[in-house]
Amino acid sequence: MSAVVLQVEGLSVAYHRGSGAPVQALRSVDLVARAGEVVGIVGESGSGKSTLAAALIRLLPPAAEVTHGAIRYRGTDLLGLSAEAMRAVRGRGIAAIFQDPMTTFNPVIPMGRQLVDYQHNLPGLSRHEKRQRAAAMLTRVGIADAARILDRFAHELSGGMRQRAAVAAALLMTPGVLVADEPTTALDMTMEAQVLHLLRALRQEVQGAILMVTHNLGVVGELCDRVYVIYAGQVVEEALVDDIYHAPRHPYTRALIACDPGSLTALTPMLPTIPGRPPDLAPPPPGCAFAPRCSQAIAVCHSAPPPRVRVSATQAALCHRVVA
Amino acid sequence: MTALYDIEDVRVDMPLASGLSSLLPGGGPKLNLLDDITLTIGSGEIVGLVGESGSGKTTLARAMLGLTPISGGQLRFRGRELSSNASFTTLRRQTAMMFQDPVASLSPRMKVGTLLAEPYAIHRIPKAERRSAADLLARVGLSPQLATRYPGELSGGQARRVSMARALALNPLLLVADEPTAGLDVSVQGEVLNLLTGLRRDLGLSLLIISHNLAMLRHVSERIAILYLGRLVEVGPTAAVFATPLHPYTASLIASEPQPDPRRRRADLAIRGEIPSVLNRPGGCVFHSRCPLVEPICRTTPPALRTLAPGRDVRCHLAEPTLNQDDS
Repeated sequence: MSAVVLQVEGLSVAYHRGSGAPVQALRSVDLVARAGEVVGIVGESGSGKSTLAAALIRLLPPAAEVTHGAIRYRGTDLLGLSAEAMRAVRGRGIAAIFQDPMTTFNPVIPMGRQLVDYQHNLPGLSRHEKRQRAAAMLTRVGIADAARILDRFAHELSGGMRQRAAVAAALLMTPGVLVADEPTTALDMTMEAQVLHLLRALRQEVQGAILMVTHNLGVVGELCDRVYVIYAGQVVEEALVDDIYHAPRHPYTRALIACDPGSLTALTPMLPTIPGRPPDLAPPPPGCAFAPRCSQAIAVCHSAPPPRVRVSATQAALCHRVVA
Repeated sequence: MTALYDIEDVRVDMPLASGLSSLLPGGGPKLNLLDDITLTIGSGEIVGLVGESGSGKTTLARAMLGLTPISGGQLRFRGRELSSNASFTTLRRQTAMMFQDPVASLSPRMKVGTLLAEPYAIHRIPKAERRSAADLLARVGLSPQLATRYPGELSGGQARRVSMARALALNPLLLVADEPTAGLDVSVQGEVLNLLTGLRRDLGLSLLIISHNLAMLRHVSERIAILYLGRLVEVGPTAAVFATPLHPYTASLIASEPQPDPRRRRADLAIRGEIPSVLNRPGGCVFHSRCPLVEPICRTTPPALRTLAPGRDVRCHLAEPTLNQDDS
C-alpha cells in the first residue's frame, strides 16, 4: 500500500452565527488519502462536503472555526502552520479546482501570465521556461492550440476549456493532493465525460492523491477508488467504490443509490426519494442524524449516537443497525 | 392521442446588430438559432427535450410561448395558429413555464403569497375563480405558512415547488419545465419529478421537460426530442430511442453518461470536441465536425429529418431503419 499523503483526524468545524448556537458543519471526520488514489467525498447539499474541501486548503470563511482535529499533509499538521507557511503548501502541496472555472482565473490578465504566476514557487526556472511548461500542460489536458490560448482571457474560452485550463493550472505545481470540488457540475454532458476521461488519464501522472468532492454518483463510479459518504457533517460510510455501489451497508448510502436515476435499470415512472430533510445542525440531534428519515430506525437510533462499525478492513459504517 | 401543441418547420433568427442596421431592408444581418423544427406535443403527453448548452432548447421553449418571435414556420395550439400577440396572450393563460432558475424567476421583494396571486392579476381573473395561496401550495406539497416568506428564505427544492405552484395557478393545459431538476439533490429531484408526473395523472396536463439529464428523462418522458445546434436530430418514443438510437449524436450522448456502477466504467470516450458556436455553424450536417461516422456527403449536404419507423424521425444521411422494431 502506498504512502499516506493526507490524513484528517477527528476534524470538527462549526459556523458561528450572530445569535444562537453555532452550526456544527463537520463532526469528527476521519479521512485518509494515499498517493496515486482517487478518493470520493460524496454528499448532498448541506452535508458539509464543501466545508471539508475548504478546510483542507485552509480557505474556510471567517465565520467558520475548526473546533477540533488535525489535517496532516505528509506528517505536518496544517492547522498549526502560520499563514505564510500555509501559502507555501497551497499549490505545491495541496491544489484545488472548483466548480466554476470562471472564478478560478483573473478576468483581466491573459491566461499565459496567470499560468506563469502560478509557478512562482518553482525555483530555477525562467519566465520563458515557465511559459513553455504552461503551454505543454495545456496541450496535455487536451487544448489543441495551447500557444494561442496563452494570449487569451478566461472569458474567451468555453466552459470546458476553462475547466481544462484550471486542471492544467493545478497540475503545473505537481501537487501532492489535488482537491476537486464538483469539477464537472457546470459542464455540458459531453464535456463532463471528456473531463472525467482526462482526470482518469492524468491520475497515472499525478504522484499524489485526488480528492473528488461530488454529489454525482456517476462521477464516483467512473473515477473513484475509495469513497467517503458524508451526511449531516459526519462520515457515515467509507468503502472501496465497488463495495459502496454493490454492497453498501449504511441505510443512507443505500437510499442515495436507490434515488439515482442512473442506477435504475428497470423503467421507473415514479422515482424513489428519501422522505424528510437533513436535520438542523445547531445543535445536531442526540441520536443518529439520519434516524428520522431511515426506514430501519429503532428506538436507540433516536437517543444514542451510532457506533462506527467496521465491516471489513476497508469498509465501515456509522450505524446502530449494522453488524460486523 | 390528439395534438395539443404543433410546431411546424419553425425557424428562429436573431438580429446580429441592434440599432439602425435593423432598419435596413431585410432587417440587417441575422443569426440563425433554430431551423426546421417540427414537433408535436400530444394531449396529456410528457415530452423530453434534450440538448447541450447552445443547442437552442430554451429558445425553442420561449418561442413556443411567444416570448421570442419566430421568423418562419407555424405554431398551433389546439389546432389554432398562433400569430398575433393576442393569440399568444390567450395561449399564456393555458400554458405555463417553469423557468430554469426558480429563485431568479421569483421577485425577491414579494412574499410567496403575493407571487402566487400574480398570474390572476395579470390575466384579470375574477376573484371568485382564483384559488387561495394555501390551496396552490398544498397541491405541490408545501405548508401554507410558506405564503408569508420571501423567495430568499426558501431552499432550492421549495423555490422549485413555489414556481410550480405559480405555474399551476391558471390550470394550464401545457406546462413547459426548463431544467426542473438542475441543482437539486438526487433525493429532492425525485420528489419534484414525481410531483410533475402526478400532476399529469391528476389534471391531464401535457409536459415538455427540457433537460440534459438523460437518465431522468428515460424514466419520466414518453417521447424524446434531441436538439443539436438548432436542429432536431432525432425524435422518437423514449424507450425505443434509448434501445436503438438512430442518430450518432444520440448514441454518443447515451454512451457519455457517467455510470454509477464502477463495474460498468467506460474505457473510451464516445465523443470528442465540443458543440460549435452558432456563429460558426458547420456546413452540411451540423454534427459532421464531431461525428465518428462522417462521410463526404455529410460535409456538403444538410440532411433532412426522415421518418425511418413509425414515430421515429432522424436527421442523418447514414441512419438506416433498424431491423427489430419490437422495442417501440
